[in-house]
Amino acid sequence: MRDFMAVARFGGRLYWRDKVALSTSVALSLGLGIGMPFLMAKLRPGDSGLLLDMHLGLLAMIMTLSALLQAAVNLSARRDQLILKRMRATGLNDREIIGGELANIAAQAVLLALVVTVVLYVAAGMPTPGNPLVLVAFVVAGAAVLSLLGAAWTVAISRAELAAAVTMPWFMLAGLGAGGFGPIIQLLPSWVGTVLNLLPTGGIVEGARFAYTGEGNVLLALLNLAVWTAIGLIVLRYRFRWEPRKS
Amino acid sequence: MIQVNGLTKSYGDFQAVKGISFEALPGEVFALLGRNGAGKTTTIEVLAGFQPADAGQARVLGLDPMKDRRQVRRRTGIMLQEAGFFPDLTVVQTVESWRAFTPAARPAHEALELAGLLDRSATKVRQLSGGEKRRLDLALALLGRPDVLFLDEPTTGMDPEARRNTWEVVRALAAEGTTILLTTHYLDEAQRLATRMAIMDRGEIVASGGMAETLATQAGRVSFELPEGISPQELPLPVTMAGAVATCRAEDPDLAAQRLLSWAAEKGLRLRGLEVRTASLEDLFLEGIGNA
Repeated sequence: MRDFMAVARFGGRLYWRDKVALSTSVALSLGLGIGMPFLMAKLRPGDSGLLLDMHLGLLAMIMTLSALLQAAVNLSARRDQLILKRMRATGLNDREIIGGELANIAAQAVLLALVVTVVLYVAAGMPTPGNPLVLVAFVVAGAAVLSLLGAAWTVAISRAELAAAVTMPWFMLAGLGAGGFGPIIQLLPSWVGTVLNLLPTGGIVEGARFAYTGEGNVLLALLNLAVWTAIGLIVLRYRFRWEPRKS
Repeated sequence: MIQVNGLTKSYGDFQAVKGISFEALPGEVFALLGRNGAGKTTTIEVLAGFQPADAGQARVLGLDPMKDRRQVRRRTGIMLQEAGFFPDLTVVQTVESWRAFTPAARPAHEALELAGLLDRSATKVRQLSGGEKRRLDLALALLGRPDVLFLDEPTTGMDPEARRNTWEVVRALAAEGTTILLTTHYLDEAQRLATRMAIMDRGEIVASGGMAETLATQAGRVSFELPEGISPQELPLPVTMAGAVATCRAEDPDLAAQRLLSWAAEKGLRLRGLEVRTASLEDLFLEGIGNA
């Protein structure tokens, strides 16, 4: 546990010095997560249902950005720069290295999601959740699962420079499925929505909606996150690469 | 200590290491020599627990480097041939960060002093030269006061003074009982530091033994320009020809040179460009890999 925490703390120090992380993960998440609902609140004052829908859609997007994309970019860069290899040359075991890195990224994603949410309560008049603990639980679990999937997704990333581009479809699909781009999904065949709800962000939004309104199937949301956790762990266990491809 | 017995490792169809065996004892510097692609780094990576062996046995401090990786890593220092740093951290921040992962770590200034990098503590890693990065590598490898140290091309890119300082550190660690497995392209480095060695070629050990004893068994060389009008068959000792240069190999090259000079004096000839050399690791190396 001491070594796990040491890796997480080290990752945290590096995160706040990393200009790419600060511009993509932090600035974009705060800008999108606060700016869009704030604008909507100005355009349609009093429509708290619309505001909540937009917030939940953007919550899925910013968590994809700050957890899944950040983990994929971060770990593929450390893999290609042979930093993961150097970390493995210490007394740290593989779980401590990956677990510590992901714990830091998930913590930053939770922090961003909570900052966005609180700002919207205060500045845009968004309704507070009926069950705040459930909301926090789904945000924390969602950040952990998305970070894990970001690490697993590195198997599809051949070079670190391609990490953001290769991971971007997750962001786009999460936004589309959760309504972050607005109700575009209603213009598409119904099966598209059904499929996109199977994404991990579908589980997060379902759980968060339950926390706010008491509507939605919380067990289904938990099942969704559990299945994605299993997928992430299996991919990490059998396919994760600690070093760049040699050819 | 390090024990390797029948170690084999392949990448797909390519067999990188073919059933090699050797042993390095406590306090010994063991040099693993060979051309690029000979299998040296693969051997170190198996011993350091980065990759499993396909067959054979590897033991470090009596432990299996894969199964007991955590215990092995906590007692070993590894200076990898290639490994990255965080470029925006300073030298001392890098060492301090690594101390957090290293049980019973040396103080940062001590590790940096050993590696000769104390005066560059405040420099960002991205501003270090290649040789200075190797010294930072060494500082990290020494942090945990290891019982076994793997040094893969440790002085590549270092200036002569840094190389000499590194040799002193290696000698001092060996004197304290650290087992050191060294790979290097600098044969003079291996000859100065190692007490025993093995030469690898295409995944196999082609020569091995104690450094001094092995060199003592090797023939020396006497070479000279063959005088005009003289055929090699007329010389008192057998030679091989490379252009106009004749080379005679002999267990005692001084005696062979005396005999050749006496013969030349009798004939009123001069042996231009006469060179007498005792056996060197380079001769042994070239002979071992079949290029002599």
